[in-house]
Amino acid sequence: MIKGYMGKFLYIDLTKEEVREIPLPQWMAEKYIGGKGFGAKILYDFLPAGTDPLAPENIIMFMTGPLTGTAAPSMRACVVTKSPLTGTFLDSYFGGHFGPEIKYAGYDGLIITGKAARPVYLWINDGEVAIKPASQLWGRDALEVNAAIKEELGDDTVKVVSIGPAGENGVRYALINCEYNRQAGRGGTGAVMGSKNLKAIALRGSRQVRIEDTDTFKEAIEKANAELKESPDVQALVETGTASAVPFANETGLLPRRNYKDGTYESANKLSDIGQSKHLWLKSAACMGCPIRCSKMGVVRTGKYAGTISDIVEYESAALIGSNLEIEDIRAVAYLVKLCDRLGLDSMSAGSAIAFAMEACEKGLIDPPEDIKLEFGSVEAAEYLIKAITFREGSLGQLLAEGVKRAAEKLKGGAEEFAVHVKGLESPAWGPRGVPGMGLVLMTADRGGCHQRGFPVAYEAGGEKWNGKPVEPLGLEGKAEMVAQLQNYLAGTDTLVKCDFGGFGVQPATYARLLTAATGRTVGEDLFDHVGERIWNLTRLFNLREGIDYTQDRLPARFVNEPLPSGPNKGHRITEDDMKFLRTDYYKVRGWDEKGVPTGATLDRLGMQDNDKFKL
Amino acid sequence: MACSEKQSGGYNPRLALLKIRHINEGLIHEPVVCRQCSNSYCQTVCPVNAVERDDETGAVLIDRNKCTGCGLCAKYCYFGVIRLSNEEKKAEKCDLCGGSPACVRECPTGALELVYSGGGDNND
Repeated sequence: MIKGYMGKFLYIDLTKEEVREIPLPQWMAEKYIGGKGFGAKILYDFLPAGTDPLAPENIIMFMTGPLTGTAAPSMRACVVTKSPLTGTFLDSYFGGHFGPEIKYAGYDGLIITGKAARPVYLWINDGEVAIKPASQLWGRDALEVNAAIKEELGDDTVKVVSIGPAGENGVRYALINCEYNRQAGRGGTGAVMGSKNLKAIALRGSRQVRIEDTDTFKEAIEKANAELKESPDVQALVETGTASAVPFANETGLLPRRNYKDGTYESANKLSDIGQSKHLWLKSAACMGCPIRCSKMGVVRTGKYAGTISDIVEYESAALIGSNLEIEDIRAVAYLVKLCDRLGLDSMSAGSAIAFAMEACEKGLIDPPEDIKLEFGSVEAAEYLIKAITFREGSLGQLLAEGVKRAAEKLKGGAEEFAVHVKGLESPAWGPRGVPGMGLVLMTADRGGCHQRGFPVAYEAGGEKWNGKPVEPLGLEGKAEMVAQLQNYLAGTDTLVKCDFGGFGVQPATYARLLTAATGRTVGEDLFDHVGERIWNLTRLFNLREGIDYTQDRLPARFVNEPLPSGPNKGHRITEDDMKFLRTDYYKVRGWDEKGVPTGATLDRLGMQDNDKFKL
Repeated sequence: MACSEKQSGGYNPRLALLKIRHINEGLIHEPVVCRQCSNSYCQTVCPVNAVERDDETGAVLIDRNKCTGCGLCAKYCYFGVIRLSNEEKKAEKCDLCGGSPACVRECPTGALELVYSGGGDNND
């Protein structure tokens, strides 16, 4: 067995109640490393085209990487499945303590398929697997379930992932809570668990993650930690997490307001690290083995929502539940985000769906529910909708539980004009009208509208140099190459599985040293670009096989048709011609044909035409 | 992490002698580790005098050769930081790594320090 790995996956078929171990093939460790790579390869090889994401046949995986659960700083794990929201490949990352515990229990990943006859949870204890009844937990919120399972098992050190009622009810953007304050948030992972009658997974393990060359590994860790200390971006996260991105996004005109209509908000500081320090934060906290400690744990002390224990309201939630809904009271935002966590909703998609409903009501396309003023700024309306969506209550709850893409298709009447999504995934809180490179990232991200598959904002609006040269913010030239390189590198390091924040500081050569020392296989710093490009082509092939083609590599209508009303890039939009230029350039850079299909030559170059298939 | 690696040769915080307890949805993270008590119950209750203080480091140490694995020390440790090893059924506790603890050496943020009460290195 290669060190760093545990050497096997755990496969569970809930329909047949079959449990077995599958050895990790050496070629897979070498070609796909871990995390996203393993997930992409298994999903592509295993899942027949056209599988309904909420059918028993879909698979849901919890994947680690060779550095997960070691002392290498800032590592995570990921959930990979076919998304019920977008129909695309879906990978969603989470920190905390559950990921490492997968390895301590003896596995590189969990692969789950089928559907249990009735609600169950999995109890995986050092290689022993029990499928346990969960009828008593069904209907309860995700955090209650976490506590209840620990009590039932008589051990509060057990690590638990759980879904809330939203996942049970098949809300297409339901999430999985991964221990407290960490979520596999995007794309509906929780709905897939719910469709399998799987309420939770509990883990305990006493195996060790072994390292090939411990001395060199410790030296590389020291280097990585030094790089984290030297990075101003990382130090900003140490101080204020992502909350200080609120004023940055506001100043650069990228902060969504009123369902992305605008890009600035005069109350931004109330939602930022300033407002959060005043009303919430008590201390910093970290995921296992991470010196960045971007968590800011706290509690709402005053007002209507006093007593709400809250982690930092990270940037995406602060923007999408805050400024995007024009809710400026951070205490209310913390409460609403926590409510999403408990009920098991992605607060990003939920925020977007609520904003969509508020605008639809403003435009007279939907009627407000009785006694509710469905308008921007209303905390009551937001709270009402979060609950209605979770329980699919009434026509409005049903409509919005499907996501804004399906909701707009159903509503018609021009609703598509303000349904802000890419491929069905509600856009992140980075309106791209002043940053076209970011626009291209959203257009081409494998899981739909996502900001974590590349972040050119740092270069386009943050003043960082790209390959030693300043970047023209509004320019289109060269953006495709930058985006493809960023995507490749991030996908490559999503195999380790690194946290994006660690990646702001830790350099490619250091990741390569960590991986070399852990596994004993000598790798160079360019490995991640190569493996990342391979993965990026594989997820593209998956999406194409699902019928998601180049016509969906586009931005929401709002960013194309409506000029930005305020901020430094006031008046700017990304036109159809801009999108066409970016797309064409991007396909060329990627070695894809004019319809965005990887060419045979490209697949040959990446070593993807071989017969290595993962078999269950 | 560092402690588990020192103890077992691999990484798994469950195998560490320094534990972090997560309380109240993660609002509180409490480190739990042997305090090398000056009035150490483990030393007093040990029926075979296997527990002794190292004058050099100040650490309370368990002599594996003398230990019979009876578990009294673990039972009466107020902080619950003594355990019986799985394989040999011998009591194990933090020995300050001989005066230079791995947890302190490898802590990336400098949050951990080895401090002797009363000042000096290990006078008390």
